[in-house]
Amino acid sequence: MSLFFQLVVSGLASGAIYAALAIALVLIFRATSIVNFGQGEMATFSAYCTWQMINWGVPVWLSLLICLAASFIVGIIVFRSFIQPLIGAPIEAMVVVTLGLFVLFQAVTMWIWGADQRAFPSIFPDGGIAIGGVQVRISALGTLLALAIAALSIGLVFRFTRLGLSMRASAYDRTKSMLVGIKVQRMLMLGWGLAAVIGMIAAVLIAPRLLLSPTMMTPILFYGLAAATLGGWDSPFGAVVGGLLVGVAESLGGSYLPMVGAELRIVVPIALTLIILLVKPVGLFGSYKVTKL
Amino acid sequence: MNSRSLPTFIKVGAAAIALIAPVFLPDFLLFEVCIALSYSIAVLGLNLLMGFAGQICLAQGALFGFGAYVTAYLNAEFGLSPYWTLPAAAVLTAAAGLAVGLPALRLQGLQLAIITFGIAAAFPQALLKFDWLTGGVSGLPIDSLETPAPFAGRPELWLYLVTVACAGVAVLLVSLVLFGDTGRTLRAQRDNAQIAEALGVNLTKVRLWAFGISSALAGLGGGVFAILNGFISPQSFLAAVSINIVIASIVGGTTTITGAFIGGLFIVFVPTWTSDINLALGNVIYGLALIGVMMISGNGVVGLVKKLVCGMLQTTSGNVPSLKSIQGRKQWIALRK
Amino acid sequence: MTLLDVRGLSASYGKVQALFDCSFSVGDGEFVALLGANGAGKTTMLRALSGIARSSGTISFDGQRLDARPPEERLRLGIAHVPQGRGTFAEFTVDENLSLGAITLSDAAQVRRDKERWYQTFPRLRERRNRLAGNLSGGEQQMLAVARALMSRPKLLMCDEPSLGLAPAITAEIFEIFKDLHKRHRMTLLVVEQNADLTLQFADTAFVIETGHIVATSPAHEMLHNQDIQKSYLGV
Ligand SMILES: Nc1ncnc2c1ncn2[C@@H]1O[C@H](COP(=O)(O)OP(=O)(O)O)[C@@H](O)[C@H]1O
Ligand SMILES: [Mg+2]
Repeated sequence: MSLFFQLVVSGLASGAIYAALAIALVLIFRATSIVNFGQGEMATFSAYCTWQMINWGVPVWLSLLICLAASFIVGIIVFRSFIQPLIGAPIEAMVVVTLGLFVLFQAVTMWIWGADQRAFPSIFPDGGIAIGGVQVRISALGTLLALAIAALSIGLVFRFTRLGLSMRASAYDRTKSMLVGIKVQRMLMLGWGLAAVIGMIAAVLIAPRLLLSPTMMTPILFYGLAAATLGGWDSPFGAVVGGLLVGVAESLGGSYLPMVGAELRIVVPIALTLIILLVKPVGLFGSYKVTKL
Repeated sequence: MNSRSLPTFIKVGAAAIALIAPVFLPDFLLFEVCIALSYSIAVLGLNLLMGFAGQICLAQGALFGFGAYVTAYLNAEFGLSPYWTLPAAAVLTAAAGLAVGLPALRLQGLQLAIITFGIAAAFPQALLKFDWLTGGVSGLPIDSLETPAPFAGRPELWLYLVTVACAGVAVLLVSLVLFGDTGRTLRAQRDNAQIAEALGVNLTKVRLWAFGISSALAGLGGGVFAILNGFISPQSFLAAVSINIVIASIVGGTTTITGAFIGGLFIVFVPTWTSDINLALGNVIYGLALIGVMMISGNGVVGLVKKLVCGMLQTTSGNVPSLKSIQGRKQWIALRK
Repeated sequence: MTLLDVRGLSASYGKVQALFDCSFSVGDGEFVALLGANGAGKTTMLRALSGIARSSGTISFDGQRLDARPPEERLRLGIAHVPQGRGTFAEFTVDENLSLGAITLSDAAQVRRDKERWYQTFPRLRERRNRLAGNLSGGEQQMLAVARALMSRPKLLMCDEPSLGLAPAITAEIFEIFKDLHKRHRMTLLVVEQNADLTLQFADTAFVIETGHIVATSPAHEMLHNQDIQKSYLGV
């Protein structure tokens, strides 16, 4: 039983990271109907920038703050230069463009920092604490806490501020939003910036565990996509639930299902997502609006 | 094939170039062209599925790998001649594709894309897990083709001809499907599933057919790929292959046959060229090229060429009725009678 | 005094031209009806005026040139547009819809007072303030769309086929509200309708638009009794 809880907790900690990436994907999808396949690699790039600053001797927290701001700007630049000119283009074109972002950011990271793995400092202290007889790592709790704070602040901004209302409206209906005087392009741009920030949070949370490398986020991207699909592509709340579910399912399935084992643990989230979609084709919290790619 | 077709002289010209190419190309380039063609066969299948049936599949690379492993396994385990493994690869991969296509009966678009992407990501892991069947990390060898006497001096040429022949078979198959009733049914259900169903289209059957044929082509392409390389391992069939095939399909233009070949050549040669320009910056340039191509033409390379050529020649050949317009629907009903 | 002055306005969707060289003006405090059959170009006209459709020609509003300005600036200058069909944000609550209407205004206290005012005018909306707009009845949604437009404190309210798909009693209710806005609040109204008889009873002036051309202009009461115009353009 103790193993079970151990697995659940470590699953939740991974799940928090998938959830963060899924939130970023969902934000962009809601705003621009685009699946940003480059989200993970953009996040890796941000994490490398943070690593570089820490390496130069800048305090960790200051590096994080500066790079979060820089990620926001990178997100905006990407939107302005590659996405905005293509709004209204066929959806297939968008798929290739975001795959191009994937290649581009991975290549830029590789070009600047090389392919070697680097140790990334954890922002949480080492060690663990015992909760009801289960040993829980502090970093796992910290990761969950970080996700909770990020998700909650996004939720609050979206629900209770004028800016949040404008962003939600722009994502919902561009023409009507223009009619009420919202600067829709600016809102979409902010959405891309915000997504880049959240993506970076996912990357710096996972970097200490996986070691920093240019391809670090590539496998995580799949889990983020599965989480977003599971939760429903137009629901940030669904992204959180989806991410945690995917994390726990992967952790439990990899250990308890002998025919799956460590190699095939990726099958568990796929199977889970498939089962849920067969029951509810738009995901747990999605609405029926979203079906097209 | 599309509402506008490329002028015949361009197609004939392309075929002529394909035939005389080997005379001029050095062996290593010829080999690269063959690899590109093997991908193109899989891309062609995806075009049928994505461009015409409107179903997204991000597992085409996994099916491509499946075909490659069928070929290798039959050859290594049963000593079957590589030639005979090809039809087997196509048929068995079609069967596997039907299994992949089952969720497609209920899912579409984004959801289907993610599930199939999951299959693509799991495939190399599965190859490692079932190593008693697949040879695990060390992979499987394939015998080289028996080369007929006249080609003994240059076996690469024979390989090329075999590859071209397989591509030809694939083009023939897709053309037969598209220009017959099936093609119309495919487009109809893509444009409007409800109306198509009301008009008597059996959606389940049509979608499974599309998955089956598309997968058969993936398997054939994979088999050719295995024969060309003489050795395969999980490393050749990572999820990135599926992504590359999708890129090839879209960059070429999803609703054309020609596009599949342009796309196949694109994913093999453009990354090589860009790293020739600058080794360190190769992929940076490749990423920009991908984005650039789509920014210049949202319909892919063939779309761009068509726009240019048809603009110059003012040729608009037979419109294909589309269920998106009322007129199209009427035409379509008339055609079915 | 002229509030809106349109000169030589043309608009097209790709190769299809929908408006041809249209010119007209709307006086301050006037209630104008824009009539025409289906496909005549009425919706396109409103879209061109609010800036969500591309157009050429000059549009002057309240002494300012509008034609190069984006939609949000036109809204700030005082043009509100209730689009055709359900002009609400269906997945947002009634209250959020009203907040969206006032999204360009920064004085929170004033926005709250305005909401209160329109809830008084549309008491049914107050009862449903926390419901999703998409769950309201058609008539309630139309009222919400109008209230939402009024939240931006417009000088000119443009409304596209408010009667579309509504029961006659509800349509009458909405036109009574227009009349009240017009008479009591001296609001300028530009109402697009296919229902000519009803609209002409309320409007001061009427324009008739046919295949993208303005083909008739006259005081509303004259047009109401002019069989010729009604027969030839409005298909009555
Ligand atoms: N989005 C569009 N794309 C192409 N043509 C359009 C579009 N919207 C309207 N039209 C055409 O423009 C003309 C005017 O349409 P519209 O302004 O909607 O007419 P009305 O509102 O008077 O019914 C019609 O011929 C219509 O077919
Ligand atoms: Mg209209």
